[in-house]
Amino acid sequence: MSATRRSLPRRDASHRRVMLIATSVVFSFLILIGQLWYLQVLEGGRFLDASDKNRIRVRPIAAPRGILFDRHGVPLVDNRPAFTLSFIPRELPRDEESRDAVLGRVASLLHIPYGDLQEAVARVPSDSLLPVRVRRGLTLADVAKIEEWKLELPGVITEVEPQRVYPTSRFAAHLLGYVREASDEQLKQGRYRRGDMVGQSGLERLLDEYLRGQDGGERIEVDAMGRPVRRVQTTEPHAGAQVVTTIDRGIQEAAERAMEGVAGAVVVMDPRNGDVLAMVSTPAFELDRFTGTIDRDAWLRVVQDPNFPLLNRTIQTQYAPGSVFKILVSAAGLQEGSITPLDHVDCNGEFHLGTATFKDWKEGGHGMVDLHHAIQQSCNIFFYEAGLKIGGATIVRYANMFGFGQPTGIDLPGEKAGLLPKPQVVRGRAGKTFLPGETVNMSIGQGTLLVTPMQIARFMAAVANGGVLWRPRLVQRVERPDRVVWSDQGQVLGHVELSPVVWAFLRQSLWAVVNDNGTGAAARIPGLDIAGKTGTAQMINKSKAEKGQDHAWFASFAPVKAPEVVVIVLVERGGKGGQVAAPIARKILNAIFFEKIASVEIAG
Amino acid sequence: MFRIDRRLLQNVDWLLLVTAFGLVTISTVTLASLHVDRAGGSVVVRQLVWFAIGLVVMVFLASLDSRRLVRAAPVIYLLGLAGLASVFALGRTVSGARRWVVWGPLSVQPSELFKVCFVLMMVWALTSRWAQPVGKLTLTMMLPLVAVPIVLIIKQPDLGTALLLVPVLVILLIGAGVRLKLLGGMALGAVLSMPLAWFALKEYQRERILVFLDPFRDPLGSAYNVIQAKIAIGSGQLLGKGVAGATQSRLSFLPERHTDFIFAVFAEMWGFVGCLILLLCYVLLLLRGFDIAATAREPVGRLVALGATSLFAAQVLINVGMVTGLLPVVGIPLPLMSYGGSSMVASFMTLGLLLSVRMRQFQ
Repeated sequence: MSATRRSLPRRDASHRRVMLIATSVVFSFLILIGQLWYLQVLEGGRFLDASDKNRIRVRPIAAPRGILFDRHGVPLVDNRPAFTLSFIPRELPRDEESRDAVLGRVASLLHIPYGDLQEAVARVPSDSLLPVRVRRGLTLADVAKIEEWKLELPGVITEVEPQRVYPTSRFAAHLLGYVREASDEQLKQGRYRRGDMVGQSGLERLLDEYLRGQDGGERIEVDAMGRPVRRVQTTEPHAGAQVVTTIDRGIQEAAERAMEGVAGAVVVMDPRNGDVLAMVSTPAFELDRFTGTIDRDAWLRVVQDPNFPLLNRTIQTQYAPGSVFKILVSAAGLQEGSITPLDHVDCNGEFHLGTATFKDWKEGGHGMVDLHHAIQQSCNIFFYEAGLKIGGATIVRYANMFGFGQPTGIDLPGEKAGLLPKPQVVRGRAGKTFLPGETVNMSIGQGTLLVTPMQIARFMAAVANGGVLWRPRLVQRVERPDRVVWSDQGQVLGHVELSPVVWAFLRQSLWAVVNDNGTGAAARIPGLDIAGKTGTAQMINKSKAEKGQDHAWFASFAPVKAPEVVVIVLVERGGKGGQVAAPIARKILNAIFFEKIASVEIAG
Repeated sequence: MFRIDRRLLQNVDWLLLVTAFGLVTISTVTLASLHVDRAGGSVVVRQLVWFAIGLVVMVFLASLDSRRLVRAAPVIYLLGLAGLASVFALGRTVSGARRWVVWGPLSVQPSELFKVCFVLMMVWALTSRWAQPVGKLTLTMMLPLVAVPIVLIIKQPDLGTALLLVPVLVILLIGAGVRLKLLGGMALGAVLSMPLAWFALKEYQRERILVFLDPFRDPLGSAYNVIQAKIAIGSGQLLGKGVAGATQSRLSFLPERHTDFIFAVFAEMWGFVGCLILLLCYVLLLLRGFDIAATAREPVGRLVALGATSLFAAQVLINVGMVTGLLPVVGIPLPLMSYGGSSMVASFMTLGLLLSVRMRQFQ
């Protein structure tokens, strides 16, 4: 009894204490409920208002893309501020009718197709606060119109963003490449956000991740009219890295001037290190029209142009090398001992092989020619016979040594490998062999033999420098303010070992092509020792009426004694190499050796 | 140890469990409506995985007699301290605080789990024979047991969890029969020593307290959370805006919206009525907990139940208090609602302790 009495109060006491605690907890909950009643019911209307006006606009600040420089530090491309029209989906009117009215007003103010605007709006969720870019490159007048109508255009804003600007509209278009908003496919890869500017071709695409920089952003509080009230937070953008290329802007411009009005390609290379000094492909597209948002018609016009302006002819188009290839055949023959400088052929303009007749380009032939004159006059008959003596397999082996049939490894995407003839199975003979007709064609650079101008440039560079095959270098380094993030020291891909007398003979003959009444006389510059070789790539299986449709080649280097530049010119459907391509090469060489000195002196 | 006889199963507190599961369901639906994604999958999926882990832990703890757990408390407590210390060696830093330890695919927040260890240790200390009767001497001897973990947690820094331990301790002392006059004296001492504590706080913690006292001191910085949360809650009004209309929450104006501020999201979506229902769920759950404590036959079980319930109650009150602007922002998750694995597991540990006590109350 007493035990119960003594323990009961204790249990009662602890029970009471638990109840005390429970009561105070419940009481605390009542305070919370009171606060909620105050916030949600008493002041709810005020807060609802606040939440409607709570417009913090997140505005990305686009990082300026990195600049591409030429080898002397002259910019190849720059940025300038440009105006962009954007929508903020969540701030457009909610109901369809008034939204369409806003879109219609913008369309009529700026003369933008109404459908384009609707499409832009439909692409993104309607409650997004992130601006959607609709059109870039607005004029100041456009911006003024939008500002003027601002109160009736909720959700429509203009932004300032850095945009690419080029020395001329088509300057180095294929080399630099164009920059556009990420395509739907690129968005799917997940690397980009909508509206990001992405390099789509050329160096802009290759080096995109370095050039793009890091976008910043700011949070801005705006009032119901969309006017900024205050800036809440700013994150500064980081500009993209700078790219130092191997291009010489002066040479590039001179080469583009020289190629005006014709379709084709020019490659200028330094044979001492493989640096690409100029790279021209014509016709070029208008870079600035491709930048930002291009309208569909303009795009279709470029894509459907029969001259394929988007194609980089220096690496993406394959041509028969024509007589330029005779240099390689000569090198193979001399090195292998199949032909010597004293071998003679009486060229009467025709060569018979079985029932087939192969003709020289010169009606009636060149008469008695040796190897030197055969190169100088580009005599086909001599090389038909020489080729048969050397053999198709040997010629192809040398072509392989000089890098034909494989991409040069230049940094640009989409490079073609070219094509070398393949041995065939011939009835009555073991294994595979080259048909004599094939070998004869190959000896003058025709047949199933295709090369790119870049491959020819590297080949000529190897002839000029004594057999070193450089990987063509376009980019020297990519640098951020604090450090170099990427660099290319140049790379020797191979070495063609020929006896020194062979190199000397080739250079001597190529010099004669230009300077001793050869086929390349049109490239001659008095006082400058230029070596070169003309080529006329016949269109295969073409009728006589289309003879003027041949591709004209001129491959050259200078000065002969210590070569500093290789200049390759290809003119599509231009006709004879000596008449069409050689004068263009002369203009370029003249600019390199004489105009360049002048400009450096003025700058100095 | 794992044997559960039928009599135990008959005494499972189903109301407690149903309420808890209801809260987890509300949490899952709210998280799903936010579309928050983190590396490694959707937050909802991860939360459900943690829920499953929590269930297993709860069943395990319920199967143990809480008296045996308390007997092992010193070991558990030391393990908990080791976990807290490991944060400094292996911890991962998230927004300036080292609170997480990564174990393979899981990142665990030791301070969350330590709260449960702390309750067990305090019960052990208060019910040990050397501590009777509980008076000044006991409290003095307990001081290092309390101070060491609090210092470790503050250093992480996780001020919220450290502050949470104080009311839990106070409630345990009240439940253990400490004279109220003594407690009052301690409270007075604490208030007087507050200026000293001020110097121990980190800059951002001081700033938060100042901002609590004057929200418009810095409307763009520290108070941003509070203002945005208040706007979210208030704009919900009586009936809420529904999932689609909850612009504050869905448009990411609200920071930490899936973790500490999830109550504001819920309040914006479901309004005052929804909040009332949610808070009633918590009150129901807590009253069950206090009932378990009140009806427990022996002091150890009673204090374990009281500690577990007060831990739960303190978290709910502090979290909702800070989200609604009644208390400074200290970073405490809302149990069973906020996204967070460690918090989820810790909540189910407390539920496991409550079940364990309830199931054995008639033995």
